[in-house]
Amino acid sequence: MTVSTDAPTAASVSTPATRLRSLGWIARRVGGGVFVLWAVATVIFFALRLIPGDPVDAILGGPGSQASAEAVAQIRTDYGLDQPLIVQYFLAMGKLAVADFGTSYALKVAVAPYVLTQLWSTLVLTLASLVVAWFGALALTLATSGRGRVARALGSGFELLAAAVPHFWLASLLIILLSNTLHWLPPISVPGPLGLVLPVLTLALPLTGFLGQVMRESLTNAYEQPFVLSARARGESEWGVRLRHVLRHAALPGISLSGWAFGSLLSGAVVVETIFARPGLGRTLLSAVTIRDIPVVTAVALLSALTFIIVTIATDVVDRIVDPRVTEVAAR
Amino acid sequence: MNAPRILLLPLSIAASAALLAGCTAASEPAAEPVDGGTLVYATGDAEPGCLDPHVGGNYPQGLISTQYLESLVSKDNDGEIIPWLATDWTESEDGLTWDFTLRDDVNFTDGTPFDAEAVKANIEHLKDPDTASSTGYLAVGKIDGIEAVAADQVRFTLSAPDSALLESFSQPWVSIQSPTALERDQATNCESPVGTGPFIVTDWVKQQSVTLERNEDYNSAPADAEHTGAARLDAIEWRFIPDAATRYAALQSGDVDVIDNAQPNNISSAADVATIEELDAPRPGAANRIELNSGKAPFDDIRVREAFIRSVDVNPGIESLFFGTAERSYSVLSSVEAAGTSTPDVFTTDPEAAKTLLDEAGWDTIDSDGYRTKDGERLSLTFPISTNQSIPAEQSLFEQIQASAKDVGFEVILQPTDLSSWYGALFTNEYNLVSAPYTKVGADVLRILYHSDSIIPAPSGYYANLAQLSDPALDAILTTASETSDASERQDLYAEAQSIIVDGFYVLPLYDQQNHYLYSTSVEGFRALPPVAAPTFYDAWLSN
Repeated sequence: MTVSTDAPTAASVSTPATRLRSLGWIARRVGGGVFVLWAVATVIFFALRLIPGDPVDAILGGPGSQASAEAVAQIRTDYGLDQPLIVQYFLAMGKLAVADFGTSYALKVAVAPYVLTQLWSTLVLTLASLVVAWFGALALTLATSGRGRVARALGSGFELLAAAVPHFWLASLLIILLSNTLHWLPPISVPGPLGLVLPVLTLALPLTGFLGQVMRESLTNAYEQPFVLSARARGESEWGVRLRHVLRHAALPGISLSGWAFGSLLSGAVVVETIFARPGLGRTLLSAVTIRDIPVVTAVALLSALTFIIVTIATDVVDRIVDPRVTEVAAR
Repeated sequence: MNAPRILLLPLSIAASAALLAGCTAASEPAAEPVDGGTLVYATGDAEPGCLDPHVGGNYPQGLISTQYLESLVSKDNDGEIIPWLATDWTESEDGLTWDFTLRDDVNFTDGTPFDAEAVKANIEHLKDPDTASSTGYLAVGKIDGIEAVAADQVRFTLSAPDSALLESFSQPWVSIQSPTALERDQATNCESPVGTGPFIVTDWVKQQSVTLERNEDYNSAPADAEHTGAARLDAIEWRFIPDAATRYAALQSGDVDVIDNAQPNNISSAADVATIEELDAPRPGAANRIELNSGKAPFDDIRVREAFIRSVDVNPGIESLFFGTAERSYSVLSSVEAAGTSTPDVFTTDPEAAKTLLDEAGWDTIDSDGYRTKDGERLSLTFPISTNQSIPAEQSLFEQIQASAKDVGFEVILQPTDLSSWYGALFTNEYNLVSAPYTKVGADVLRILYHSDSIIPAPSGYYANLAQLSDPALDAILTTASETSDASERQDLYAEAQSIIVDGFYVLPLYDQQNHYLYSTSVEGFRALPPVAAPTFYDAWLSN
């Protein structure tokens, strides 16, 4: 099948002028990303010093330390904590600019490799959840929209419920049901895919509901478009209409929202990783904030922001590929 | 009236039968211990930043290091100090010199021999500012000089007599590590500390688990252990599972064998599960208690302190919120401390008496919200709560206290915060009530918590005397007690000290520092090591 009527003016994409515009667009996005990273680092730096609690405690093994005066003085000098705040800020930014994340106050290890190992675990969790949520939402909406009233009611009812359920509650429910009652899955994260099932379900189900709601709406709109009518008139089967014509439209808002969805998955990871005792950025962040391990908090925040920025740019690019109209509108 | 009793009869018969059945099960001859297997332990305590408990020195470090590090002495179930790495000790007449005889046949797991030089290196390590030790540093504070007299003889000279020295040495934060390993940089020693213990740290996956493997050459079990030689388990997987409900679910599903920090509701439901057993091992030192900050108004007035204690009845709350798993304490000290005195009469509830006391103290007007006022100021009490330390049941208990104090006219402002903010509130004196656990072996904890010296902040800002109790008479008693080695004399002094503390209404004791373990019935020979009630798996084995 050739380019269908529902994807207009795709041919106009690769002229030199549009390519230049695309490059400029990417450059602007990257520049914006760098600005966001700097802002995140700055906010984190000052926020962590405004809340009560002394970073020296983290270095001394946690709050409530009664270490000697010599020990405390030495730490202040070693970590530059005796300098004025503004000096500390510029020193910290200078190091971050060359990707020097320093040493963890609590763990005494280099922050960058430590946080990167945690990032991997969180990426596996969040990306798997995103994929599951995506397919779940697509399957759900394709199967139940444009059908009878009962199917539609069931579909949107499920979506509403799933989107409203908080992660911690869903996690407990899944543990009781799938682990303690049916004994299908371990309640804690274990190596291998089996240990990933419950955490991914917990993160993916609410997102499935949310994505499903959005897709259903655009799907319903697409059904009323003339190209659907003409496809039907050509004798296209019902599933053919759904998969070849309507799906693209349904997917669009889903793709645009994936960047946002990924951000929400990252924050959901804090809860899910804690409940299922899974290593990852979320849990690292929680414990680091609790004891004011500033280098770790900064690195996790920057890394999360960076990942979020990359995913957002990626979804925008995919968005432009799937729906060339976006480029047109942006270029006008 | 008779009918219910008749109905109850079959029930009580059934209960007795169940009890008898339980007795028979328990008296069955224990099976022969078997070697091998990996035990999975799930801890709810925070993951330590460093596995060397000299660095900093908190309870989570003490829990895990008990598996691979050992101390000079230990304590048995009766509270008596017993030999461990040291076989014998003598205190000089003036209490300023202590001679310890050490085991001469023990090696660290890196091959370094355990001897007097090793002990010396460890005490020096605790005192080195680079180590940034807190708990261990305090414990060896009175040690001025260490001399390796012979390979198996070490002599400590003290700046003042220290009747708590042996108790201090029994703590995991003063455990002895390989001097060779201590010479490595701190990050390395934090990852893989080397001791003489029954297990060896072989791997640490952050936010996940620490792997401990059996020390095949182990020969230094404490005097109260069940067997000698190497441990029975091949390995321990020490998992960090912060969520209490998940921890219990993992125990039920068999994914883990032992859990700590078991919550009251789980302990209560586990009582009906045949395959799960409970070990209740209260921590030593102080009981969990609410301190009344006497350092500032309104609690600088003893009448207001007494009024607060008379106004709150905590017993029904403890009974219902803790499902009967925690027993009300009427002592400042933990029930495992022999020196503790229980004084229920001091802590009776009497709201009417409380109102009279407040009237006398000048808090005799009541504002539109029902709170008492004096000179236009409301009788307000700030109560910062550490959500990292106070379990949900305890937080609910504080809410009940808030409600019953209101009936008398106290406004209690609960401020749940994270640990760092909580310490921040304490260090800036922004509290009237606080509950702060404190673990230490022995009654000398009273000196740390209530001697006026402990109001002076440590360089980090910390101070332990949160009641801000400043009484020269009490100071004198506590100092004398810490320098008195005669056991019964010491006991009398601590009794006297406790009566000053409770009669001054500086504290409201709640219960022992809760330390409940739940474990699968397939785990045999598991116990808590008496000094700080940390788990020990040296004797443990898996029956299937």
